[in-house]
Amino acid sequence: MRDAIAEIGRVTLFAQHVFIAALRGRVSLSATYGYFGTVFLRCVLPVMATVFPFGMVMALQGLEIFAMFGTERLLASLISVAVLRELSPVLACVLVAAQGGSSFAAELGAMRIKEELDATEVMAVDAIACHAAPRVLALLIACPLLNVLGSVAGLSGGFVTAVFFKGEQAGIFLAELWSFTQPFDVWAGYIKCTIFGAIIGTISCYLGFYTKGGAAGVGRAVNDTVVYSVLVFITANYALSSAMFGQM
Amino acid sequence: MRPIRTLGRFGLFVGQFIKSSWGKRPPPGKSLEEAYRIGIKSLPILVIISAFIGTNLAIQGYAAFQPLGGQRLVGMFVALAGVRELAPVIAAAMIAAKAGTEMASQIAVMRIRAQIDALEVMAVDPVWYLVTPRFLGILLVLPALTILSIFSTLVAAYCVAVFQLGLNSFEFIEYVRTSITGMDFVYCMIKGWVFGLVICSVSCYCGFNAKSGPEGVGQATNAAVVTVAVSCVMLNYLMSEIFYG
Repeated sequence: MRDAIAEIGRVTLFAQHVFIAALRGRVSLSATYGYFGTVFLRCVLPVMATVFPFGMVMALQGLEIFAMFGTERLLASLISVAVLRELSPVLACVLVAAQGGSSFAAELGAMRIKEELDATEVMAVDAIACHAAPRVLALLIACPLLNVLGSVAGLSGGFVTAVFFKGEQAGIFLAELWSFTQPFDVWAGYIKCTIFGAIIGTISCYLGFYTKGGAAGVGRAVNDTVVYSVLVFITANYALSSAMFGQM
Repeated sequence: MRPIRTLGRFGLFVGQFIKSSWGKRPPPGKSLEEAYRIGIKSLPILVIISAFIGTNLAIQGYAAFQPLGGQRLVGMFVALAGVRELAPVIAAAMIAAKAGTEMASQIAVMRIRAQIDALEVMAVDPVWYLVTPRFLGILLVLPALTILSIFSTLVAAYCVAVFQLGLNSFEFIEYVRTSITGMDFVYCMIKGWVFGLVICSVSCYCGFNAKSGPEGVGQATNAAVVTVAVSCVMLNYLMSEIFYG
């Protein structure tokens, strides 16, 4: 228990170091841009390949509910609400944690094991601001953008199942798509994903940066990254959803 | 070109696994140990994450059905979306993140420390010795973990629906009870088995083919979890189409 609390304190100090360095402008923008490109390209395919089938499944199960009441035309609005508010942010960020976060943890872990991070510090360069902070910021920027692509993929997955496989009218689907969705829903997904990106980035870079114990330690850091970052952001997701959509 | 070659290598790996463990006794005592490691160690995280999926399903179901005056349908929404789809997939994703990555990184570490070559030198088939217990272990525990994940999703959704959103508790339970049947649980267990097959074979393949050095271990682990997550979601759609379509 005590260890867990101490660990939370260390993560917080690490996050503080990263974000203060970012606010003071000590983080190289070109490095951030480079990592952003890497993580975006690595994650774009997995994110779209996961959210698309989930949109299809939503259409499959949603049709079953609505067919009971003869209100199949409401399917599109349910899909757009579910995908924009919940499914796409959560699934996109699970995949970003699994792909982008864990690859950053692996890179930093390998640098720690090869004593590259120690070498940076010996040269009186702030290793956190130099190696960890650009990666955290890159994840923070990439998550909301990947979420936008994920939302598009999810909605088109729903469209494919409903229109091509189940024979709903394409016109009705497109007309009802935005009937319950407000601009706030899109913004809510954006805000959520920025927060999730900060969580994933902080946890993955923290675990990678303080890797111990050789090659096996790198494996453990990657493993813990996925587990802990998903755990923390799903918990945060409940709080955010309650605050944004709970009681209206 | 490269994806096709990787797919072919993966097929050969699976073929070799079937050949080297078909009709042979698994290494004694190791399967239950693996089952314990996969099942018990993943349990807390799985329960917590499924619970938070349930809470959010209830909140979003309420928000989606309220404009229609159908708040009562929250129970049905949670049952259909949570039990049939989200719980099995999230369970598989978390087992992949926890146990699958552990498999991949353990085997990758053995590969780069030449322990797998040492097994071969001792005339022990490494695929039989390392993969079979993990395979049996994951098949043993995944259906149970899927059911537990369903249960915690439903309990958390009930708590949010009744205590936070103020819905009628009897109505919620009634809608959940009528919209899921015994067959749903059977389908979820079948899904669990298929996801277990994918998790075990992909993670072990990635571990066996790790490149040398600490980066190799990291990359193998990373590749395992992403491939498993994406292929489980795709297989989930196929199976839902077969079961419910």
